[in-house]
Amino acid sequence: MSFQIECPECGCRPVGEFHFGGAVRERPEPAAGDHVWAEYVYTRPNIAGVQREWWFHRAACKQWFIASRDTRSNVMQPAQTPDSQEARG
Amino acid sequence: MTDHNAPAAAGQFEFLYNGRPVRSAVGQTLAGALHAQDEHILSRSFKYHRPRGLFCCSGRCPNCLCTVDGEPNVRICITPAAPGMKVESQNAWPSPKFDLLAVLDRLQAFMPVGFYYKRMYKPRRAWPIWERVIRQIAGLGRIDRHNSGGRYEKLNLFADVAVIGGGWAGLHAALAAADAGADVVLIDEQPELGGHLRHDPDLAQDAWAGMLRQATDHAGVRVLTSSSAFGCYEENLLGIRQGNRLIRLRANQVIVTTGGWERPLVFENNDRPGVLLASAVQRLMHLEHCRFAGAAVVVTDNAQGYRAARQLVAAGTSVAAIVDVCPGPPEFAADIPVFRGHTVVAVRGSRHVAGVEIAPLAGGPSQSIACRWLVQAVGFTPASALLYQNGCQLTYDPACDHAVVVQYARGMHSAGAVNGTHDPHAAALEGRLAGLAAAATVRPHDVSLAALLADARRRLDDWQARRATCAAQYVAESPAKKKFVCLCEDVTEQDLCDAVAEGYANIETLKRYSTVCMGPCQGKMCQAAAIALCARETGRTIADTGVTTARPPEQPVPLGLLAGRAVRLALVRRTPIHDWHERAGAQLTDAGDWKRPRVYSSVEQEYDAVRCHAGLIDASTLGKFDFRGRGAAEFFEFMYPNRFANLSVGRVRYGVLCDEAGILLDDGTISRLQDDQFFLTTTTGNAAAIDSWFRWWLAARPGLDVRMTNVSGSYAAMNLAGPRSREILQPLADIDLANAAFPYLAAARCIVAGVPAVVLRLGFVGECSYEIHVPAQFGLAVWEAVLEAGHHAGIQPFGVEAQRLLRLEKKHLLPGIDTDALSNPLEAGLPFVVRLEKPDFIGRQALERAARRGPRQMLVGFRMPDGFAPEPSSLVIHDGRPCGRVTSSGYSPAAGAAVGLAWVPAAIARNGDTIQIQVDGRLLAAVVHDAPFYDPAGDKLRS
Ligand code: FES
Ligand code: FES
Ligand SMILES: [Zn+2]
Repeated sequence: MSFQIECPECGCRPVGEFHFGGAVRERPEPAAGDHVWAEYVYTRPNIAGVQREWWFHRAACKQWFIASRDTRSNVMQPAQTPDSQEARG
Repeated sequence: MTDHNAPAAAGQFEFLYNGRPVRSAVGQTLAGALHAQDEHILSRSFKYHRPRGLFCCSGRCPNCLCTVDGEPNVRICITPAAPGMKVESQNAWPSPKFDLLAVLDRLQAFMPVGFYYKRMYKPRRAWPIWERVIRQIAGLGRIDRHNSGGRYEKLNLFADVAVIGGGWAGLHAALAAADAGADVVLIDEQPELGGHLRHDPDLAQDAWAGMLRQATDHAGVRVLTSSSAFGCYEENLLGIRQGNRLIRLRANQVIVTTGGWERPLVFENNDRPGVLLASAVQRLMHLEHCRFAGAAVVVTDNAQGYRAARQLVAAGTSVAAIVDVCPGPPEFAADIPVFRGHTVVAVRGSRHVAGVEIAPLAGGPSQSIACRWLVQAVGFTPASALLYQNGCQLTYDPACDHAVVVQYARGMHSAGAVNGTHDPHAAALEGRLAGLAAAATVRPHDVSLAALLADARRRLDDWQARRATCAAQYVAESPAKKKFVCLCEDVTEQDLCDAVAEGYANIETLKRYSTVCMGPCQGKMCQAAAIALCARETGRTIADTGVTTARPPEQPVPLGLLAGRAVRLALVRRTPIHDWHERAGAQLTDAGDWKRPRVYSSVEQEYDAVRCHAGLIDASTLGKFDFRGRGAAEFFEFMYPNRFANLSVGRVRYGVLCDEAGILLDDGTISRLQDDQFFLTTTTGNAAAIDSWFRWWLAARPGLDVRMTNVSGSYAAMNLAGPRSREILQPLADIDLANAAFPYLAAARCIVAGVPAVVLRLGFVGECSYEIHVPAQFGLAVWEAVLEAGHHAGIQPFGVEAQRLLRLEKKHLLPGIDTDALSNPLEAGLPFVVRLEKPDFIGRQALERAARRGPRQMLVGFRMPDGFAPEPSSLVIHDGRPCGRVTSSGYSPAAGAAVGLAWVPAAIARNGDTIQIQVDGRLLAAVVHDAPFYDPAGDKLRS
């Protein structure tokens, strides 16, 4: 893994400066039931293709942002700051 | 052959070869010096201990591996000689010239391909013995455990364009890119630029010297010589070895102009010393000033062979014949007889070439020619490993008999011989085109560049000359046994045929079974022939046969290079009070990146001071966060399992953080300093993780009115604890500390020792205590002021060791020590922090399920009625089975016994239950103890 990530604050930096936060997913409603919750808590999608995911620039600006990455090639689309999209979590 | 061609006696010196002094000159390689001294057997082969000599002279084969100054497997043909060097042969005893194990060569029939799979698997217990024997016989050098290989270092570089290979194409590429304004790094593994031009003077054009000067002088070109690019990783990160330095070069564009290496033919005894590649001969002649005494035969399919023959003649070697595999009538080239349509089928001579046998390809009787040297010039295998590594797609092209790029990976280009373009004119055009194309990507708006690029492309298209395709057949047809495909691993044609017949017909399985391509050269010398053979034996085309996967490193890399001193030097954090601790003689311990005092005087003394008088501990390493905003209380309600909306101003509350699986992440305190202002602490070790955790949830809920600032480094903190702490702190503070005014779990902003502070009334160690947070720059001053004020009361600084014991007596857990990635607060003895009546919080669903299910294991306190404290991680045994473990333990003066915390099954976790702890193989009884061991009612910390 030696690709680079475009941080919205700091620009293009090596991936080692970032912390991967997993695919962007919808947190279930509190009453969604054990099955839905177990799925959310214990399984990860792990798709082969373009995926929206969280990245944290831990070594510099300490910002979380969402970027799309093709998991097959590690080619990334420009990142968005979380403010620019609807809230989730 | 001794000295008639040695360089001037000036700069001469000696090194030791197997204990014998060898004369050498500055600029010569070890191999060149040995050749000049007629030292031609340099090693013994891996399996059969056959004699081996110089073969490629370019660091691409296994034949010259020696141990140099204790470092094994050094290729002496690319290692400059230095005075006093100690060079030892490997895999030969007593010497490479006379090796007792050479008898193995006669036993070849007993070592068929895969022989250790076939012969040595039964009986099973014999394998360790066999293994030892095989390791003795086969193998490379020995590792000298006392030789660390010196110091290694790392360097990061950045460039617009990296050009790998400083040959004709590379020089053109680098200059074209640099002229177009790109910042270029030009990398070459040889000590000087030039590639094949350096040792093939007839190939070198007049323009060569000029190009070299331009490249070295150009302000836009940085030249790295003696540097081998061993890996090309994602997004054009290059791993480069330059001596003991690892260079990580990030380039926007990479131009691969690595050229190729010569491919050897496979015929009987093709591994005899005296059989060399033409470029090896040229290197020895032109770079090392060596000569070749006696007659030579050149086998070739291209112009390079004729050039090499002419150069040999010019240097005084008689060339007995040129064997040209391309068809045509016999003729003479410069008085040398040329046998067209012939190939070499065998070499005669047992320790060195004594003659060759050649035969017409069309069939017919063979004939012998006496000679001492057999020079092979039968074309090149492109050095395309770096292209493969970075994801370029290559396909075998029968027209040029090697793989060519059909699809480049992002930012990759190639030019010259690596593309199969050997003609200097064409290689120059290709290089220039690649350089311009790379520069154009870096400077996309340069219009003049676009014009230049179009021009270069047109010229290259115009150039129509194609290499006359008459590729030599790799493998001579003959029934002989000793035709080596893989020099590294001693794999013969017969071995490969057998392996294919046994079913290993896929090139990848053939490789793993026969070990072809798995030697020190990683297939550089044998891959092309192995594929050709596999194709022949399976009746497939070479394209269908495929290639084995190219992985970094392309050249061997010492582990020290990768492990060497990191660029990210280890971070050490010191608290603002650190120097004081050192002056006080504290023993320091690591806590994450921090250094913390472990103990100053003795744990007992420090313990006594806290329990009887007062103690002061530096707590600056805690994570500290400032939260503001009207949404903060609501945010904590969601983040923590317990309640925070009802926390009044001026109060502090303990809290644990869980993840969605209900696993306990960390604990700490939350103080409400004003209605919309909170001050949070986390443990030392989790500060960074919790910072990221909070930020993530905040990022995911951008609408909340919450602003978070990590003030961990901006505040120094200390905990003043003990029965006399109030009387010590009161004179320094501007608020009333009386118990009624500032009780247990009170929090306030105030002034301490003239400094603005946040003071929290906590009880981690079980006494009345004040956690004092002050701006970092005043940390030391306040620390000294408190100690001074407490002097008469017997205050003492205490370290983490005493703190651990003090809190253990209170059964206060340490996240990460007493808990792990399976611990939830319900089972960790903290059910009171989990408020399932709240509609939602992180981990609620998991904790609710866990509550429904009931505890499976519990973190409990235990007391050992007699006996000493079991080490943390000692096993808890139940019904003869391990079922839990001790997490903390120590001798508690308050309990008068050894006490501890342990995870045990819920069934035996009730107060008074007896558990068994394994200590040194014996089982010791311990009793589960629910209450704290010290001050069970908590009167002290409330007083
Ligand atoms: S002769 Fe040294 S590596 Fe081939
Ligand atoms: S010749 Fe080196 S691996 Fe086969
Ligand atoms: Zn950033």
